[in-house]
Amino acid sequence: MPSADVRSPASRPNRWGLPDLGLGVGLRTQHFRHITTKWPEMDWFEIVSENFIDTEGRPLHFLDQIAERYPIVMHGVSLSVGSTDPIDFGFLDKLKALAARVKAKWLGDHVCWTGVAGLNGHDLYPVPYTEQGLGHMVSRVRIIQDYLERPLVLENPSTYLTFAASSMPEEEFIARLAEEADCALLLDVNNVYVTCRNHDLDPVAYLEAIPPERVVQIHLAGHTDNGTHCIDTHDGRVIDAVWDLYARFHARAGGRATLLEWDANVPKFSVLQQEVRKAARYREAAGRVAA
Amino acid sequence: MQAVVMHPAGAKAGLRARPARALIPDAARDLETVVLPSKNLSSAERLGIYSHMYFARLVEVMEAEYPTLRQILGPEEFAAACRRYITKYPSRTRTLGSFSARFPDFLAKTLPRTSRNALALDVARIERAMEDVFDAPRAEPMTAEQFAALGAADWDRTRLPLTPAIRLLELRYPANEYMNTIRRGERPRIPRARASFVIVYRRGFQVMRRDQEPEQFRLLASLVAGRPLGAAVRGAIRGRGAKPDRVARRLGRWFEEWAGAHLFVR
Repeated sequence: MPSADVRSPASRPNRWGLPDLGLGVGLRTQHFRHITTKWPEMDWFEIVSENFIDTEGRPLHFLDQIAERYPIVMHGVSLSVGSTDPIDFGFLDKLKALAARVKAKWLGDHVCWTGVAGLNGHDLYPVPYTEQGLGHMVSRVRIIQDYLERPLVLENPSTYLTFAASSMPEEEFIARLAEEADCALLLDVNNVYVTCRNHDLDPVAYLEAIPPERVVQIHLAGHTDNGTHCIDTHDGRVIDAVWDLYARFHARAGGRATLLEWDANVPKFSVLQQEVRKAARYREAAGRVAA
Repeated sequence: MQAVVMHPAGAKAGLRARPARALIPDAARDLETVVLPSKNLSSAERLGIYSHMYFARLVEVMEAEYPTLRQILGPEEFAAACRRYITKYPSRTRTLGSFSARFPDFLAKTLPRTSRNALALDVARIERAMEDVFDAPRAEPMTAEQFAALGAADWDRTRLPLTPAIRLLELRYPANEYMNTIRRGERPRIPRARASFVIVYRRGFQVMRRDQEPEQFRLLASLVAGRPLGAAVRGAIRGRGAKPDRVARRLGRWFEEWAGAHLFVR
């Protein structure tokens, strides 16, 4: 009987058969003009969903053009799946409308909450990793998926604190969330590194706990190392340790849509291209090792 | 956690404040029962990371929205005003487009009354209008044929639809001129107070600003309010301080100017 271990990395599909889109970058305002005049080589783009909601201005104008030529993935920052506030179905309607407009390959957000009591901190706050918290989030993710009529792709956030009430590690919480809510995962390997540095954990063990068949996308990014802790700043190149994690996961999971995030000190588009192309080398190397 | 993170004086002060104590009475005294320390950071320092990022992120958004205002106030005074605003009006929306909508009014109530601050308020209103117009709904501009047909229309029945991407601002200072000078990299003196009338509009996807003559502004404001063309023109001629001859002479040019700016829509 063939086992998953003997197949080539590219042949291990995710649970939904969502495609390996190849190598992409986050779509940022600074590059709108360049992209829509040069149409540079890039497999796909990811957008921050909220940047294109409640507006009919310039960003949407450029996005419409870009979506005609490149696959688009929607990645949000304010769905707040861990919140105790009621689910905002009006916001889900806007996400659905945008997804239809840009023919999004999939859409997602983070395993976090962003506010309660009607407020929004515009940050990705961690939840206590408890059975109660898990049940709460599973229930909400299921409702959101039913409403959106598609799997939600949830990302592991960078976290800077640990709740004393947590009864399981973050990676177990996320793996169980994916299984019990039947949702997809976006594995941010930079976030794995940052979180593990901040909590003195083993990033390899974290990766091993993530079920590869649930992962449809990978994030890469730079971060700021303050010595005492790391902050997920997306303001530079990917460090070698994160590339190693990427290669390690790729060897286990095979081809997954891979995206470079660069949000602060945004460089020229050509720099993004060079940086994300490094992933191709790791993908090839991982493929050879697995084969 | 939210009450602590959003406290204006930082996480430690937030832990001592009533909202946090109401939820977790012992948190300030024994925070480690709620948030674990790391090898390098105390529990309060870990919460402080989120607290710092909360204000830093929103101030950064406002810096991008009010660059000229920031130059007038200076970075520190601007950031302090932003922090007070963020505390008074925390975000309640998932997108940030309208987050700072009340900032100009907030500044009007909180800044000391000086000529510099009066100019700063005018600039804040312009920069806020630019944000509103940037995100405003789209509308197709009126065609040349439609515009030409207006001459023969019954002006007492004709209402001209205007783009939703326009804001009209009646200001105390020549703030639009001042902004242009600042944006050219000059460092002008604070000008004398002088009423100015500014429109902020979007042509295609480009946000622009333009000064208007007083009668011109009044006429455009009437059209935006939905008054029939004839009534709007008569109002501009009869308005306080209006010069009927000048209005009559310039009326055609004003309409051409507005049509060229794509202010009239189908």
